[in-house]
Amino acid sequence: MSELVRLTDVTKVYQGGITGALNGVSVSVEKGEFTAIMGPSGSGKSTMLNLVAGLDRPTSGSVSVGGTDLGKLGEAGLARFRRDHIGFVFQFFYLLPNLTALENVLIPAQLKGSPGTERARDLLDQLGIKDVGDRYPARLSGGQQQRVAIARALINNPTLLLADEPTGALDTHSGEHVMELLGQLHRDGQTILLVTHDAKLATRNAARVLSVMDGKIVDDARLESPERAPSEVIRVRGEEASR
Amino acid sequence: MRAILVKAVADLRRRRVQAAVIFLTVLLAIATGTMALTLMSQTRDPYQAAFDAQKGAHLQVSFHASTDPQLLATTPGIIGASAAGGPYPATTLEFKHAGQRFNVETFGRDNPAGDVEVLKVTSGRWAQTNDEIVLTRSFSELNKISIGDRIKVVSVSTAPTLTVVGEVVDIDEGSADLSSPQHSWMLRSAVPALTTPELSYYVMVYRFGTDPTSTQLKGDVDRIRASLPPGSISGSINYLLIRNIFNITNQIVTSVLAAFSVFALAATVATVATLVTGIVISAYREIGIMRAVGFTPAGVVGVFALQVVLPALVACLVGIPAGTLLSQPLLANSSHALGLAFVPSFSIPLDLMLLAGGLVVVSLAATLPALRAGLLKPITAISIASAPRGTSGRWLRRLAGRLRLPRAVILGFGDAFARPLRTVLTLVTVLLGVATVVVAVGLPRSFELINNSETGAGNYQVVVNRSNAFPDGDVMRILNAQPETTRVVAIDGENIAVSGIADPVNTRLFRGDSSRLSYEIIAGRWFNGPGEVLAPAGFLRDAHVKIGDTFTGSLYGQNLQLRVVGEVYDISNLGHELFMDYATLPSSIPNSTPGTYWVTLRPGADVNAYIQRVAAAQPDLIDVQANNTSIIGPVKIIDSVLLAIAAVLVLIGIGGVFNMLLLNTRERIRDTATLKAVGMSPRQVMVMVAASAALLALVAGVMAMPLGLELHRVLNDVISTSTGNDTPPSVYGVFNPLELVAIPLLGVAVAVAAALIPGRWAARTNVVEVLHAE
Repeated sequence: MSELVRLTDVTKVYQGGITGALNGVSVSVEKGEFTAIMGPSGSGKSTMLNLVAGLDRPTSGSVSVGGTDLGKLGEAGLARFRRDHIGFVFQFFYLLPNLTALENVLIPAQLKGSPGTERARDLLDQLGIKDVGDRYPARLSGGQQQRVAIARALINNPTLLLADEPTGALDTHSGEHVMELLGQLHRDGQTILLVTHDAKLATRNAARVLSVMDGKIVDDARLESPERAPSEVIRVRGEEASR
Repeated sequence: MRAILVKAVADLRRRRVQAAVIFLTVLLAIATGTMALTLMSQTRDPYQAAFDAQKGAHLQVSFHASTDPQLLATTPGIIGASAAGGPYPATTLEFKHAGQRFNVETFGRDNPAGDVEVLKVTSGRWAQTNDEIVLTRSFSELNKISIGDRIKVVSVSTAPTLTVVGEVVDIDEGSADLSSPQHSWMLRSAVPALTTPELSYYVMVYRFGTDPTSTQLKGDVDRIRASLPPGSISGSINYLLIRNIFNITNQIVTSVLAAFSVFALAATVATVATLVTGIVISAYREIGIMRAVGFTPAGVVGVFALQVVLPALVACLVGIPAGTLLSQPLLANSSHALGLAFVPSFSIPLDLMLLAGGLVVVSLAATLPALRAGLLKPITAISIASAPRGTSGRWLRRLAGRLRLPRAVILGFGDAFARPLRTVLTLVTVLLGVATVVVAVGLPRSFELINNSETGAGNYQVVVNRSNAFPDGDVMRILNAQPETTRVVAIDGENIAVSGIADPVNTRLFRGDSSRLSYEIIAGRWFNGPGEVLAPAGFLRDAHVKIGDTFTGSLYGQNLQLRVVGEVYDISNLGHELFMDYATLPSSIPNSTPGTYWVTLRPGADVNAYIQRVAAAQPDLIDVQANNTSIIGPVKIIDSVLLAIAAVLVLIGIGGVFNMLLLNTRERIRDTATLKAVGMSPRQVMVMVAASAALLALVAGVMAMPLGLELHRVLNDVISTSTGNDTPPSVYGVFNPLELVAIPLLGVAVAVAAALIPGRWAARTNVVEVLHAE
């Protein structure tokens, strides 16, 4: 497998912040990996995801995705980069309320200038929501909304799928369904970077779990290796929480 | 109450841009309204004050020189006048000054005081010797003649030189730029040497105990006529006409101002309502919290209403004095024309009424949408955070989608109609702005068209006036001898008495091919021969005649059978004018030969060379000038007032669009952040916002065009009616099709420019901050 994401000595300090949200983080993600980032609130996990998506810029260090140094891109370049390479799934879905489900899915394709209607319908079908294409978000359940958001994230065949607490606003059943979908996508070859605070969800599908604490990666567990069982990762995560 | 004030002031600090929009919009509207009302309330008084102070004549009548002055002295008693002046010996005086020739009606009068028509000396003094003359101030200023200047009389063969010793204001004639010829005065003993029998006449001025009506004045003239030998009266004029001439500019300016003040007010109300609705919609959670901590529904309404009323109050406190100040130059102009010492005038009750009215209107515009905030249930407000958006823009997005427009444009189009009420209110502000621009573009052109028709712009290039001492035939010989001369139309003027019309009607008699002059013919045709006449609507109405009718006119006691063949546009004497062939005059009419010649030159001719050559042929007895086609001062005032109003309404319209976009972008900040997260570039965000503004402006512009054109038509009709005319059809059609497309497109361009700032804000949305804040 080849390297897809590389963070090199990345520090991020927010205005007014005394300590950094990220403090000298260096990590790489291979193409095809399903990586979960775990950590408590304020640990810096979402910041990492935002930096990889090009939504935010590091205070120092560099972020590259697919060989592209994001620090060298302007705002328009970052927008194109997101459009072409990134799919983003948010905790609160962030569907546009005045567009139908199908229109929401189509937005990134249309911004890119490609038609995508057939693919959008296929995606809705694959995600089990083909019947809700003409409905507005307000008339969808949380699970349906998140699946529409996943379809939107996938419409441009992104190199990297980023998911920030994708089950955080869902009930257990819907959350599990969403995680199954992500697992299936990974099995189909999609590189996924997932932020979650739920260790069980993380270890269920991710082959690798990065534990973040106070802006630093404190653990990097590859679950497919015999020496690190999921239970051990969960134990580590539990220790972090108790500190 | 204190809590409401504290919260409102704190919100104002937070919503500085909205406060600025309210301030500017209300400022512009209230200043325009103040100007209009101040002018309306103050302009009538100066004329009345001057008329009373100068004991203005209700009636002025001129008599042929053959009339017995003793008999004239009995006329005041015949009509029951409370005071009278005259008979003054009078003559038409032609003089040269600085190479130009002028005509004035000169009256022999030994002092400016009296019981009627007191002449107010504004500079210099009254004439003391027979070689001194006093002119009206407006005539001196218009023609740049100063006290001490020497003028050479050319209407008599002795060609004496007179010295200008004084300037006066005469309340019994219009200012020189609207009324010609002007009066002038010399000592009674000076007149005989400056006149010829054919130029001589007498003038009587009469004043009554109360202001007489037009009908009463007509009866008075008829009684004087009946008491004198036939044909004794050569002309008359009454104070109603002069008052109208004076008031006409102000009437037009104030009616234009008043109409557009209503527009400005409506646009302001729409902007304020949009703003408050927007603030309420985006502040649901805050409203819920306010209610939760103890604000009553009325308190919540108060907080939102105060946020608007406070900047509006400041705007009123600045705008009312500003509007009063801006109206002063126009008032000064009116006072100057009357010779009154200008005293800045304003009305404190009026200003207080404006302040109260402005605040009431703004308060209502703010309170009605704020009621929505007051009526919200706290738990609902807290839980839904902001008002749900409907799907109003859906059909538009679908339509735009079918046109395969870029997605950013489609989204922008949808946003434009996402909040229907906001959209409608914004459409109103833009619509009013564009409609005003249409009027501001069209009306000056209509004025120019009328000016061109009245001044013969592009029709004849040279105007020649001859002295009575130089025969008509000799002038024609000189003009026809010039190779550049293509056409000469000679003009004579007479006053013809017509049954039903109080004053003898000014009549223009044309000799030569007058059919190709550029007068606007509203109906019928130009005359083809003697006995056929054209007249403006005012004459036709007052004489109760129409095209095809025949009526009798009386000139020097001789009856003329005249047939109306056309209706012409002419603002002279408020529509009391007749146009006819010179050959209509009976040969027995004494001393009636044309004195003015309008000369059309062949294309490409050197006008200046022509003028110099013709003038050189008889330097003392003919005056040769290039045709003056410049627009008169009052029209320029109206044009500039219109331009200013259009600018005000365009600014309010821009404010409305800016305001709507600001509310939309702030309300949609999360959507914008999401769009950026899924790949929308900053440029696409700006395109989205601009598309929203462009569509609104386009819709408003398309709707505004018929409104603007109709308004242009109505204003033209009002102005034409006030000058005793119907509007010529050509005056309506001053727009070319390209402009009718260009004006809405210009509106789109302006709206897109107004969208730049909100668009830039939206484009700079920090995705992480916005989505994190959720």
